[in-house]
Amino acid sequence: MLNDLRLAFRSLVKTPGFTLVATITVALAIGANTAVFSLVNALLVRPLPYQAPNELVLLWEKFCGQGLDVIPVSAPEYLDYEKQTSSFTGIAAFDYADLNLTGGEIAERIQGAVVSPSLFTVLGIQPIRGRVFSPNEFGEGNDGVIVMSERLWQRRFNSDPQILGKAVALNGRNFTVVGIMPARFEFPIPLFNIQGGNFAGQVDIWKPIAFTKNDLESRGSRSYGVIARLKPGVTMQQAQAEIDAINAGWITKFPDNYSPQTRFGASLYSLHEQVIGGMRTALWILLGAVALVLLIACANLTTMLLARAGGREREFAIRVALGASRMRLLRQMLSESVLLAIVGGAAGTLLAVWGLDLLRTLGAHTVPRIAGANLDIRVLLVMLVVSVGTGILFGLVPALASGNPELTEALKEGGRGATSGVRRNRIRNALVVAEVALALVLLISAGLLMKSFVRLQQVYPGFNPRNVLTMELSLPQLKYPRGKPVIDFYAEVERRVARIPGVQHVALTSIIPLSGSNSDSSFHIEGRPEKQTNVFPDEEIRIISPDYFRVLETPLIKGRYFTEADNADAPGVVIINQAMAKKYWPGEDAVGKRINFNDEDPKKIAWFTVVGIVGDIRHRGLDAQAKPEYYLTHPQRPFRGMILAVRSLQDPRALVSSIRGELQAFDPEQPLANIKTLEQVTAESIAPRRLSTVLLGLFALVALVLASVGIYGVMSFLVTQRTHEIGVRMALGAQRADVLRLVISQAGLLIGAGTVIGLLAALLSTSVLRSALYDVSRLDLSTFVLVTFALALVALIASYVPARRATRADPMIALGRG
Amino acid sequence: MSDPLIELKHVERVYPLAKQQFFYVLRDINLKVEEGDFVSVMGPSGAGKSTLLHLLGMHDFGWTGEYFLSDAAIHQLKPKERTSLRNEQIGFVFQNYNLLDDLTVYENLDIPLSYRRYSKSERTSLVADTLDRFSIVGKKDLYPRQLSGGQQQLVSIARAIIAKPKLILADEPTGNLHSSQADDIMQLFKKLNGEGITIIQVTHSEINAAHGNRVIQLRDGWIVK
Ligand SMILES: Nc1ncnc2c1ncn2[C@@H]1O[C@H](COP(=O)(O)OP(=O)(O)OP(=O)(O)O)[C@@H](O)[C@H]1O
Ligand SMILES: [Mg+2]
Repeated sequence: MLNDLRLAFRSLVKTPGFTLVATITVALAIGANTAVFSLVNALLVRPLPYQAPNELVLLWEKFCGQGLDVIPVSAPEYLDYEKQTSSFTGIAAFDYADLNLTGGEIAERIQGAVVSPSLFTVLGIQPIRGRVFSPNEFGEGNDGVIVMSERLWQRRFNSDPQILGKAVALNGRNFTVVGIMPARFEFPIPLFNIQGGNFAGQVDIWKPIAFTKNDLESRGSRSYGVIARLKPGVTMQQAQAEIDAINAGWITKFPDNYSPQTRFGASLYSLHEQVIGGMRTALWILLGAVALVLLIACANLTTMLLARAGGREREFAIRVALGASRMRLLRQMLSESVLLAIVGGAAGTLLAVWGLDLLRTLGAHTVPRIAGANLDIRVLLVMLVVSVGTGILFGLVPALASGNPELTEALKEGGRGATSGVRRNRIRNALVVAEVALALVLLISAGLLMKSFVRLQQVYPGFNPRNVLTMELSLPQLKYPRGKPVIDFYAEVERRVARIPGVQHVALTSIIPLSGSNSDSSFHIEGRPEKQTNVFPDEEIRIISPDYFRVLETPLIKGRYFTEADNADAPGVVIINQAMAKKYWPGEDAVGKRINFNDEDPKKIAWFTVVGIVGDIRHRGLDAQAKPEYYLTHPQRPFRGMILAVRSLQDPRALVSSIRGELQAFDPEQPLANIKTLEQVTAESIAPRRLSTVLLGLFALVALVLASVGIYGVMSFLVTQRTHEIGVRMALGAQRADVLRLVISQAGLLIGAGTVIGLLAALLSTSVLRSALYDVSRLDLSTFVLVTFALALVALIASYVPARRATRADPMIALGRG
Repeated sequence: MSDPLIELKHVERVYPLAKQQFFYVLRDINLKVEEGDFVSVMGPSGAGKSTLLHLLGMHDFGWTGEYFLSDAAIHQLKPKERTSLRNEQIGFVFQNYNLLDDLTVYENLDIPLSYRRYSKSERTSLVADTLDRFSIVGKKDLYPRQLSGGQQQLVSIARAIIAKPKLILADEPTGNLHSSQADDIMQLFKKLNGEGITIIQVTHSEINAAHGNRVIQLRDGWIVK
């Protein structure tokens, strides 16, 4: 064996050109496979960083009658689940919380979470220092403790070993640090497909939930996620049945809250599924793509080795004549291909390390868990197996095809080994056809995704994202209780920022489009029978300041924008979008109609009059149709957490420091968080799609290059093989054009056959792309035609080069006269 | 008499050997061949006979001097013009036949026609005529490896004359053949010569040379007689 490897090494070193091309081919294919497999490993295979993660389930509620499928849970509901379920070993509620950390040199906005004390036990993760919350650290007055992440402890507190028991000021209140969670601990983690769930950053501080009296009384105020661990032996179905029973109990007990028309219910989801569910298709597509690349590489290497084996026919014949067995020859040839595959695989792995860096950068903040995409021992082992397997695969055919040379033919002086040559040619031709077909499938898929991506980028989102800066502010309740102080604070912010040179418009909003966060609220339309049926319309709601639509450049369709005069004391006003007008007032003029928010006391109903209709904004994604939305003005519905949006005349990033300065000047404790341009927000909303498009495009390109190299190699070989024939033909009168035609027509035949097969395969296989395409048919004619044409052209150029060389063949040399 | 069919003036063929070293294969060749001549080129191995023939056949352009063929100054023509002139006027018979292995006798005969301006029907009838004329109709669907050496050379001569050349160049056409087969080929050449085709053959055999009307002796690249 060792001897075989040494021989193999020597013979590879003897042909450095071949070895180089073959190694690069393997490296490209194995590199692509390693990168994608690392991604799959990190996202799909590797367990979530909790104890027995497959026992963990999430609970979301739904109002099917109102089109709400996945919504959070209210405090009283959660407490019912906690008390009444027996399917779980533990259950916990959680929500994101914005925390302002003060007391250091600068105020800083920290991503926090409020959780029930049971959360850490449910997830089964121990702190690295101190303790987690005890069961009584729950509810108002008992929540003065926090657990922080190792990250924050290192960064902000310099890994202070005395941190436990110290007080930290958050939102203007002191909390005692009781524990530190390990760096790998992450919860909540970003989830896919949750309505209203946002894509917040990693959480650094956990504090106990403090349900207020108000929280405990309102069943309809839903903001908590619920996670639970199934008892051993209890199935999802059994747990779901228990939840269904609890829900049924509520429906009879609280008919006002759960009227039959709303079709209320709750569903359990596997946590793993919710974390990676949305990416599964994309990952399978990528995995399929790199598998095709690997196949093309194999085909390429097989043809190269076949050509090499052809050139070594005499060597093998002599070895056989000297007593080598067929098995020995096979082993020698396989040692060569496996050695090539391993060397190429190692190079490919290096390529993948670099590629993964790129992937993590591209997918940061937008693809959950992508930070963990790296080479671990599992990836390396799989790739070793794949490499060796590849080596055997591409080495076997040539080895078998020339393992039993025709002795008499091959040993004859100048014998051309006609019989095995024909067989090899046939295999080679089939491989070229296959390569072209596979490359075409990949190229068409990539073409469709790219076209779809371009279409998506051309979608008008309903606003102009250029030159807009956004940043979050969140006022602590202690310093800014609801009402006038909040309104005054934000009014002052707007006033001060508006003064900054270069600022065109300033506005506030509770939510920016395409950011991933969302908020909805039910309402009542004057004169509609909602009070009787208890089914209230529920649509997306935003709180804004008057200039919001000027900042966004969203057109006013009818009526007016909010003004300064729409203050807290003025009559209530609301602006709706076109989708909302169409849904609730079809064929009617919505302006002047009134809504309220189902106030308890009929004598104090606050009415809001529709004063304007604005254009639709795509909020959930460029690929999602706009939904009905309505806007209230900030003074009439003050929020403590708002987003400042600034339209500037030039690059808005230049404004950051002056805005920060203005803010510091009147409340240095309020940090600005999440500073982003609107263009950035828009780009991030399609980042996962960009990632898979870029990757597939890259792989298709690799496939194209490999296929061209393959065609080039085969045609060069054929031309060399036909030198004599070409020489005779030229001596008999063939012009260069005739020779060119001869060679190109042979290549054209192979390319044509590959194209036809590839087109058929693409017709069948692009159906897997359907869910990934936007506004492009999976059979999009122009993509099919263009890509096919491009591939055929590249392939013809690849065969033109050797054909050109054939025409330069000197007949004197070709005829053995040189 | 009119102008000669071929005229060579001061033609030389030099191969570079090593640095600054040259090997003269043909030296100061001056030669006239009249239309209707049957010339035999003779000389020891390595004298430059094949080189001269390939030069005349315009397979090789690495020479200096002047070469006139039917009043055309070959040394001044572009490669494309040379090829078309060659296609018009010359048929070449190789020493080792050079039939294409993967083509049948019929297809081999058709090659020269496919590179000249003949219609499909002209090609069919010309190939049929030629097969008939060389009495190889029965062999038309066979592959070269299924023929004897003499039959292969017969096909290769048939292929050389099928496009009606004025001039046949034959490099040791009988080199690999038995003497009686060789005689048949010479009779055929004589007949073709009688039809007005000019023939230049390379041969080692005095008997073969005797069929021609002229002998050119080459020695070390020089014409000695
Ligand atoms: N490409 C080349 N480079 C260098 N020398 C060459 C080349 N081709 C031919 N020669 C030399 O030119 C000389 C003449 O060759 P040529 O084939 O014309 O001889 P010949 O007279 O046909 O001999 P033979 O009777 O053996 O066929 C030889 O000495 C040969 O070595
Ligand atoms: Mg010779």
